Amino acid sequence: MAQRATAGRGPASVNPETTAQVVACVRDARAAGTPLRIVGAGGWLDAGAPCTAGEHLRLWGINGIVEYEPGDLTLTAQGGTRLIDIERATAEHGQWLTLDPVGYPYGTLGATVATGSYGPLASAFGTPRNQVLGCEVVTGIGDVVRAGGRVVKNVAGFDVTRLMVGAWGTLGVITEVTVRLRARPEVDQTVVVALGGTDGVERAHRWLRTTEFTPLAAELVSPALAERLGFATLNADLLLLRLGGNEALVRAARHAAAALGDLMVPDDGIWTALTSLGMTHSHKASLRLSGAPAGIAALWAATRRAIEPAGGLAHSTLARGVVRCLLPMDDDASVARLRGILSALPKATRIPERLPAELWAPAAADPVLASLRQGVRRAFDPDLLLNPGIMGTA
Amino acid sequence: MPPRAPDPDDDGLAERLRQIVGDRRVLVRPGELRAYESDGLPGYQLRPSIAVFPGTRDETIAVVRLLAERGVPFVPRGAGTGLSGGALAEGVVLLGLHRLTRIITIDAENQRAVVEPGVVNATLTRLASAHGLHYAPDPSSQTACTIGGNVAENAGGPHCLKYGVTLDHIVALTVLLPNGAIVTLGNDDGEQEGYDLLGAFIGSEGCFGIALDVTVRLVRDPQAVRTLLADFPSVMAAASAVSAIIATGIVPAALEMMDNATIQAVEASIYAAGYPTDAAAILLIELDGAAAGIDDDVARVARLCDDAGARGVRTAADAAERARLWQGRKKAFGAMGRISPHLVVQDAVVPRTRLPAVLAEIQAIGERHHVNVCNVFHAGDGNLHPNIGYDSSDPVQAQRVHDAMSEIMAACIAAGGTITGEHGVGLDKLPYMDALFTAPTLHAMCALRDVFDPDHRANPGKVVPVHSCREWHSVRPPVAGRRP
Ligand SMILES: Cc1cc2nc3c(=O)[nH]c(=O)nc-3n(C[C@H](O)[C@H](O)[C@H](O)COP(=O)(O)OP(=O)(O)OC[C@H]3O[C@@H](n4cnc5c(N)ncnc54)[C@H](O)[C@@H]3O)c2cc1C
Repeated sequence: MAQRATAGRGPASVNPETTAQVVACVRDARAAGTPLRIVGAGGWLDAGAPCTAGEHLRLWGINGIVEYEPGDLTLTAQGGTRLIDIERATAEHGQWLTLDPVGYPYGTLGATVATGSYGPLASAFGTPRNQVLGCEVVTGIGDVVRAGGRVVKNVAGFDVTRLMVGAWGTLGVITEVTVRLRARPEVDQTVVVALGGTDGVERAHRWLRTTEFTPLAAELVSPALAERLGFATLNADLLLLRLGGNEALVRAARHAAAALGDLMVPDDGIWTALTSLGMTHSHKASLRLSGAPAGIAALWAATRRAIEPAGGLAHSTLARGVVRCLLPMDDDASVARLRGILSALPKATRIPERLPAELWAPAAADPVLASLRQGVRRAFDPDLLLNPGIMGTA
Repeated sequence: MPPRAPDPDDDGLAERLRQIVGDRRVLVRPGELRAYESDGLPGYQLRPSIAVFPGTRDETIAVVRLLAERGVPFVPRGAGTGLSGGALAEGVVLLGLHRLTRIITIDAENQRAVVEPGVVNATLTRLASAHGLHYAPDPSSQTACTIGGNVAENAGGPHCLKYGVTLDHIVALTVLLPNGAIVTLGNDDGEQEGYDLLGAFIGSEGCFGIALDVTVRLVRDPQAVRTLLADFPSVMAAASAVSAIIATGIVPAALEMMDNATIQAVEASIYAAGYPTDAAAILLIELDGAAAGIDDDVARVARLCDDAGARGVRTAADAAERARLWQGRKKAFGAMGRISPHLVVQDAVVPRTRLPAVLAEIQAIGERHHVNVCNVFHAGDGNLHPNIGYDSSDPVQAQRVHDAMSEIMAACIAAGGTITGEHGVGLDKLPYMDALFTAPTLHAMCALRDVFDPDHRANPGKVVPVHSCREWHSVRPPVAGRRP
């Protein structure tokens, strides 16, 4: 039976170690009418809309690589496996999982998939939706559903796997995931360019759209964020370009990128520094703004104008047309100040990540879409047991 | 409410449909309907009661709303090139979408296009090429199949190895639900919020409703392309070259294998591409991207083929030779189809390290059942297409083909693979669904279909075996009162 523990403070928690134990936990919770908060590494529990739950279901014990055959370039691991463990196992064979979400590398695979989180590498490789091949979940009625498979192409049956990616656990507790891997490029080199002038971002965007090179990552960083990455005195937007391929290709790509300005070579840890900045204690609020890719330079400028007077930081995965904002939230006065920033943000698709409960306004959805969403939720979790409220639609 | 089969004469349905789409666009006579009894896979013939072909979006909506009002089941159909027995059903209204061919916009700035579902895949690429763009998923049927059919099947193609399948190229869809409601899935203007219903719809084989407007991503034409033809003395040698190439980290745009039987068929046809007819297998390998460094990768790939025992590797000298090499591959099914009256094109995927073993097993299965299996497939993805030519009017032959195919599917499942990588389940793969998925997994699929089409009127009887949906409805606990 899964170990149950009640800490001095906070909610009780259960720590299952097998899928069968997760099933038992969900069935127990269902019988008792106790909603469950699903917990991976516990590093991002304040993400998502306010979620009220009686008990924490921790997946630490559902942890480990289940199957890894390097020649297949696929890997199956349990939901609670940390990304860093996957990185270590695959690096031995010159391979990697090309997902570097916020909090990388300490988050878990299950949480990355559940939240659909991604980082700069999404520029070339897409998000979890493009990289997850299959998963095992325990639904809100305690069924074990094994969707998708372990091969890189698969259209057998309706795509329940895609539904689980980004469902924030509300359709099932993710106990196992199969992902696509890639061989690491022969050369993997990062260069940094300061984008001076008023049209620096527009030029960088145009360059990316027209260059024959496909950088592994092309991330734009606001001056204030650049400062935290150790580029103190530049006072310009920075473009972080990660170039991969064979020697000749990377050399030519560097040469081409020099058209944007002088290239600097950053410390090795720059990407980890960037992804772990999402966990900074002073900037606990975050959200993403997005629009059609061609409008990214305007979206970037308007976002910077709205957030910088209040000390906000921003970075953008240019190719995806997305700007991510990190906003200060360190004391009680923060909520009012945050509300002010949010109202100043440009009009765009707004995906909140972490915001105080008071500021979580669910976007009004078209009624047909809303009924499809509710139908899906009810089909997998009729009693709304799993992470209730976390998608802003309890 | 169980869907009711329409009777064109009794309830005036055909007349109402004619009022919407015009007299010539409604077929009810058995002779006229025969063309819509099957798709590209022989062996399945199911005649609809009525076929209707709306010419505009509004007509399509009116037709679906009429069918919803009357509780009439229907099957959407694009070009009918499907290879799983998908776009056909007995006694239903067949809803042909191939007249919806408007390209609504090509937005070069955002590298996107919005198209109607009847637009032919290759037409889209042809029109986008003026902007130096193309639509990357390229099924071998691309000169005929429709974007709507591609979305419904989550179609793949040779270049999906590097560029991804249909799922990776659809930004948003306007969907006409079976009840006549319209909904947008995905987001033209930023990230998708909420559940990935767009992803759930792609590959739903016409069972979740009709894809009306499709926003696709367009990909820039590569600066440089190199196409290699490697000639191997055995299938095993070719398969080991595939593994070696994949392991390097070089991701070819395409990595296709053809065995000797396929080569012979192609070379005997009007699509003759100059393949070596005495090769046991060839690999067609394409590398693309920036010109810088590409020839280093070409050299490395050629060396890996040599190491695996290739008798020769040649690189297409120019675009014309490249086109010729590809034409042989893309028309291989057609070439095989010339040799025997019918051709079963199969589709399965295995982990890439299992390719040599599974190919050997497929050969043994063919020999045991006295059928000729020829292989032409997306080797880089492990996506097999074992094909068997036969005469479907001969019951003995048909049985042998059926038995061999069942064993091949079982072998692919046993190797850790799946029963379809790009052609879909349709009717043909239904019998294998229970072997591949557990009962609760099939129930989850039924539950998902219920959300989009609670009456099971859209393409009834496909994808998930009916018995598992029945079980699901009987075991499904009553929805408890919702917590506040
Ligand atoms: C020679 C040949 C080669 C092929 N090569 C490939 C290949 O390389 N890769 C590959 O993936 N496939 C391949 N196919 C299979 C087939 O071409 C694809 O499945 C294609 O996507 C089907 O498109 P279609 O328009 O013909 O669809 P149809 O056959 O008409 O329909 C297929 C399914 O889609 C549904 N449907 C059609 N339109 C819509 C719509 N607008 N909304 C909702 N549902 C709809 C139908 O109900 C049916 O279930 C090949 C077929 C042939 C004959």
